Amino acid sequence: MRRSRFNQGKRRYTRKSRGGKPRGGKPHIRRIFTPPGSDHTIEHRIAFLGNPNVGKSSLFNMLTGGHQHIGNWPGKTVEKKEGHYLFPRRIDNWIGGISRKPIEKKEGHLLLSDEYFSIIDLPGAYSLSAHSEEELITRKYVVEEEPDLVCVIVDATRLERTSYIALQALELTDNIALIVNMMDLAEKESIQIDRHKLEKQLGIPVLLVSAFDNSCIIRIKKFLYDALHTEKYTFTPAYLIYSQKLETMINSVSRQINNREILQDYPTRWLSIKVLEGDKWVISKLEEEYVLDDIFKKIEKLKISENFDPADEIPKRKYRALKSIVKKSVIGLEDFKEKKSDKVDKVVMHKFWGYPILILIYAVFFLITFSASGPVISGLDSLFISFSEIVRGWLLAINSPAFLTSLIVDGILSGITAVLLFVPIIIIFYILIAVMEDSGYLARSAYLMDIVLGKFGLQGTAFLSMIMGLGCNVTGVLAARTIKSERDRISMILTNSFIPCAATLGVLTSITSIFFKTKPWFAALLMLILYAMSFLLVFLSAMFFRLFLGKSDTMPLIIEIPEYRMPRLKNIFHLTWERAGVFIKKAGTFIFLASIVIWIASNIPYGASPQETIAGYIGSGLAFITEPLFGFDWKIVVTLLFGIAAKEVVISALSILGLLTAAWTTPQIIAFLVFQMTYAPCFATLAIIKSETKSWKMTAIGFFYPLILTSLITAAVYHILLLFF
Amino acid sequence: MNIMNKKISLADSTVNSIVKVEKITAGQKARRFLADLGVLEGVKLRIVKNDLGPVLIEVKATRVAIGRGIATKIEVTC
Repeated sequence: MRRSRFNQGKRRYTRKSRGGKPRGGKPHIRRIFTPPGSDHTIEHRIAFLGNPNVGKSSLFNMLTGGHQHIGNWPGKTVEKKEGHYLFPRRIDNWIGGISRKPIEKKEGHLLLSDEYFSIIDLPGAYSLSAHSEEELITRKYVVEEEPDLVCVIVDATRLERTSYIALQALELTDNIALIVNMMDLAEKESIQIDRHKLEKQLGIPVLLVSAFDNSCIIRIKKFLYDALHTEKYTFTPAYLIYSQKLETMINSVSRQINNREILQDYPTRWLSIKVLEGDKWVISKLEEEYVLDDIFKKIEKLKISENFDPADEIPKRKYRALKSIVKKSVIGLEDFKEKKSDKVDKVVMHKFWGYPILILIYAVFFLITFSASGPVISGLDSLFISFSEIVRGWLLAINSPAFLTSLIVDGILSGITAVLLFVPIIIIFYILIAVMEDSGYLARSAYLMDIVLGKFGLQGTAFLSMIMGLGCNVTGVLAARTIKSERDRISMILTNSFIPCAATLGVLTSITSIFFKTKPWFAALLMLILYAMSFLLVFLSAMFFRLFLGKSDTMPLIIEIPEYRMPRLKNIFHLTWERAGVFIKKAGTFIFLASIVIWIASNIPYGASPQETIAGYIGSGLAFITEPLFGFDWKIVVTLLFGIAAKEVVISALSILGLLTAAWTTPQIIAFLVFQMTYAPCFATLAIIKSETKSWKMTAIGFFYPLILTSLITAAVYHILLLFF
Repeated sequence: MNIMNKKISLADSTVNSIVKVEKITAGQKARRFLADLGVLEGVKLRIVKNDLGPVLIEVKATRVAIGRGIATKIEVTC
């Protein structure tokens, strides 16, 4: 038979047989443990798998609520999101939904104990091939960690495209269920999905839900419970039979690797398919044991003689099968229908009008960020000042030694204050970013910026990293993960510290408002020039790094543009919390430690004049170089040194050293501002550069490149200004 | 009818036309990623926007932006 068809698998796994592992290897043991505050419970591990933009994370958040843990996959930079919920165990003859009401407490004991459902929100991926770390982690998790159920989330309005990953997962595991999300949108487009037909064809349980519907949480919980416990659902996962030619090849590879010692957890058929697809990870693993040259020779021969490439043919067959599945189970699907988003995009993504709109949106964005955070910050500021006075008074009352009082109040408390003052600005900034992301505009701004950034050899996705960097460079570097091209990613990581973060802006505004009080127009112009310069440095450096990073790894821009939708409060909350959390964590560690170190450096020996402290000596030493070059005396040098620990500290260091009231020359002020904009990434950013690039060399470049470049620019600016003032 | 079957690159296709992908000559990595997003040989696309910058297409009810460089490597017929 030439045509591929979708076959019902012969294997039939009921719950019991799924408990043991069908493919051999280690037996599967369901972990039993006691989570705090509940009876003995059974833990079920369920993995959520799906494309980006299918509402996977929304469902995850709705199910697990506050019971989440966000960390990283061990040794990886990819985020790992885990959450859990408890669900009452049911007895078979118990009718009447899942409410626990009818059988509450009996003699002080819960009659029915809860079961513990642990959900792992796997990173959003388009497929299970090996071209990104996310996808590698995902498939490794599915196979090696053996979750009790892999739940694939798909979008009802785009069933065909979003189910592609489900078809791949079906080749990898049998314990699989499908949740079709966004049914409300599908109904609006009068798309009808026949759940039973879908179930029958795929051989797995299917649930239709809409994340906007309040009953969906309980329905999903019930669905997952039933899928794991009852005979209501049978698992007879379908697997795709490819064309005869492919099947012959799959079989011949399978025969060769059948008795392998490695990758025993992985199904043989899946491995064979991946070998034919040219999956580098699978091939390199298998080549530890086998010589696969014969297979590759065969593939090469087919490519030349028959123009037949299995790597193209396999996805093609999968899509063909999907098309027929969708055709049989969905009514009302219209090809190429113009959607509301398209009409809006005619203006928003217009080659000319798109840009004024973009500028307007981001102008409003920053206006809101800074005007809304202003009153909050000044309120917090006075609160903190009075609080530290109370603490000082209290410490004096208990006769604490003078240096301890100073360490606590001037060191630790003022350090914490400096940090906390930035929290409102960061939170508002990330709320607005989340609104733009959830509504779908962020992807569109990346699209529009691709045209601009393309001139500098950067991709549009680099724009997201830059925008994030305006809040905090740490999140900016993290956002570079979305850049598919490795070269662009590295160059964005290395240049992100050029982008002035909220703390740098804080220094900039406070200095200009003090020294150019009488010339507000000049201050505004200066800020604009400095920002333009920072971005110019990013662009030019990207072009510069291109020369070194080579053209080998150029992944062209291919991004999905999601439909516009109303931003959801819950999503915004979670996105903001995740990102602002990074900042707060950084504040809790780096800045806190830095403020203690800084206090020690500038107060030891205690009671000595500032110049005779540790910091004073270091500053004076460096001032021999910086004084003639940039006009920086030892105090300025010390301030900037502290700024490397955390940029937030610069303002407090300036005030502690009495620089805010000192007499500066104009060239000095401007040179200082130019220098502080871009001179070095802070410690936290450096740490994140290290963890993202996994290379000390890159980390060193990330530190010294800005430092040297900024020094050259500042020296030039200072000496030119000396001619005029 | 002859004009209808002419092979052109995706970058040269007209807005709102529905085209069929004939051949993708990009590297394997890019080809695989395009396939993940539903762009592969034999698939029909609608051109949503094609003036400056990346070509915006609709494929399997999803909007996908494809950089101009790679768009020239996708051969389509009307």
